[in-house]
Amino acid sequence: MSVLEQVALYLETASPGPGLCRRREKDAETWEYCSILNTRLFATRTVEPLEYYRRFLKENCRPDGRELGEFRTTTVNIGSISTADGSALVKLGNTTVICGIKAEFAAPPTDAPDKGYVVPNVDLPPLCSSRFRSGPPGEEAQVASQFIADVIENSQIIQKEDLCISPGKLAWVLYCDLICLDYDGNILDACTFALLAALKNVQLPEVTISEETALAEVNLKKKSFLNIRTHPVATSFAVFDDTLLIVDPTGEEEHLATGTLTVVMDEEGKLCCLHKPGGSGLTGAKLQDCMSRAVTRHKEVKKLMDEVVKSMKPK
Amino acid sequence: MPGDHRRIRGPEESQPPQLYAADEEEAPAARDPTRLRPVYARAGLLSQAKGSAYLEAGGTKVLCAVSGPRQAEGGERGGGPAGAGGEAPAALRGRLLCDFRRAPFAGRRRRAPPGGGEERELALALQEALEPAVRLGRYPRAQLEVSALLLEDGGSALAAALTAAALALADAGVEMYDLVVGCGLSRAPGPAPTWLLDPTRLEEERAAAGLTVALMPVLNQVAGLLGSGEGGPTESWAEAVRLGLEGCQRLYPVLQQCLVRAARRRDAAAPL
Repeated sequence: MSVLEQVALYLETASPGPGLCRRREKDAETWEYCSILNTRLFATRTVEPLEYYRRFLKENCRPDGRELGEFRTTTVNIGSISTADGSALVKLGNTTVICGIKAEFAAPPTDAPDKGYVVPNVDLPPLCSSRFRSGPPGEEAQVASQFIADVIENSQIIQKEDLCISPGKLAWVLYCDLICLDYDGNILDACTFALLAALKNVQLPEVTISEETALAEVNLKKKSFLNIRTHPVATSFAVFDDTLLIVDPTGEEEHLATGTLTVVMDEEGKLCCLHKPGGSGLTGAKLQDCMSRAVTRHKEVKKLMDEVVKSMKPK
Repeated sequence: MPGDHRRIRGPEESQPPQLYAADEEEAPAARDPTRLRPVYARAGLLSQAKGSAYLEAGGTKVLCAVSGPRQAEGGERGGGPAGAGGEAPAALRGRLLCDFRRAPFAGRRRRAPPGGGEERELALALQEALEPAVRLGRYPRAQLEVSALLLEDGGSALAAALTAAALALADAGVEMYDLVVGCGLSRAPGPAPTWLLDPTRLEEERAAAGLTVALMPVLNQVAGLLGSGEGGPTESWAEAVRLGLEGCQRLYPVLQQCLVRAARRRDAAAPL
């Protein structure tokens, strides 16, 4: 039987493997081919996962039907936790991250008496993936926390001066706790997005320092939103075989990749942060491609954010 | 935290703004003492865990995941007479490891991540309540890990965690004798106290005593009981337990529905 006849036979009998998503009509051929590959190579997937992926990448697609530059479906849900001052839940395909922000009072740091604090903390509990154990934060959680701290610092999402109530005496401290509920790759993108969405949702009560007692007086009835100055959006890439770049890697893809790269873009295409923890090297041209893809992603995310913020019920 | 170099450092100490707020919170409204809040339960939502469940009752939101069975850590234990139904001897039975976590933003006041004694106590309570329901003899030398995460505390958190954990175990396909359903109760302070079923956070904070009951509905056996607070006449506590068991029975049909739906969804997603 010729290859074409074999393909025709499979087109009739193949059922899509689990996890394949519908794609646009004009790419029906690619999708059909993906589904054929998925069914035929089912055994290869467990025995030789790298070989399995290479077959798909040669056809410029991935086992779940996405193109190399395509993101998974992103959904965001704002304000679901009522005990937190601001909260957001972000789903990037299967990867789920929830961010809760609590605001408290503290004395400003002695070396910067007119600034408040923003303290991020990324938690990867054992329930999100079997590779994490309970106990103090592991390496990956620490790296993610530091990354989020860098993004906050470099992009100046919030002016720390806005958080100061009374210089030298009282300032706000925003504890941003990000918990990963489901780990399927690309945790940094999800965390950045969740943080941004939660910060947009935070409402701080009005505080006045009374003259007589020099104590703070909080009015919980009057609340105001934070002044979010920029909207940093992260885009992650995985490098395969030192040459091929794919966007938004899943957990399996991250495991097989030879390197990863995360680019954080601002509005007006300004670069906030670049995170490349070792791995295979990249040429300058490839880096430029990554940055242009990050700019497009920023527009997509900004649109989603604006829709969500508009649909929030005004308090 | 001063010595914790694994997390980003914040200020040495901080206070919640509620301490400085002028107005007091309203007392909880009077209500029917046997009312149960409407429950939303969903199983099989996490992709990385073997079994998972999410439970929402009023303001309480709990997520639970089960992984395993995995090779048990710890030394070899001796053999003995085999149990009934082809189960392993008692010393080689599987273990259930439970972990209870509270999200830092779950309560009124932020709690820094290393939870401390309370979380360990609740994890132990979870383990004690779930063990009678799971056929651990069928998993010799293995351990099952159950992790519960409390996303928002709206009252009766332990009860919700128990129910979610049982649903997650069922969703993971672990062999069980029965589901475990949890129900919380609290008694308001005062001269003529009545026990309130399924208290909200406000009611729990003002309570003089609290109780959590865990029931296996079909077998009609109590799997766990955890209570604390001011003493009272024995009849009062017995009344509370009876009320709690009734509440658990009322909750059972909702959980059955949830598992059936989850099984249907799983079938629809994997026709192979």
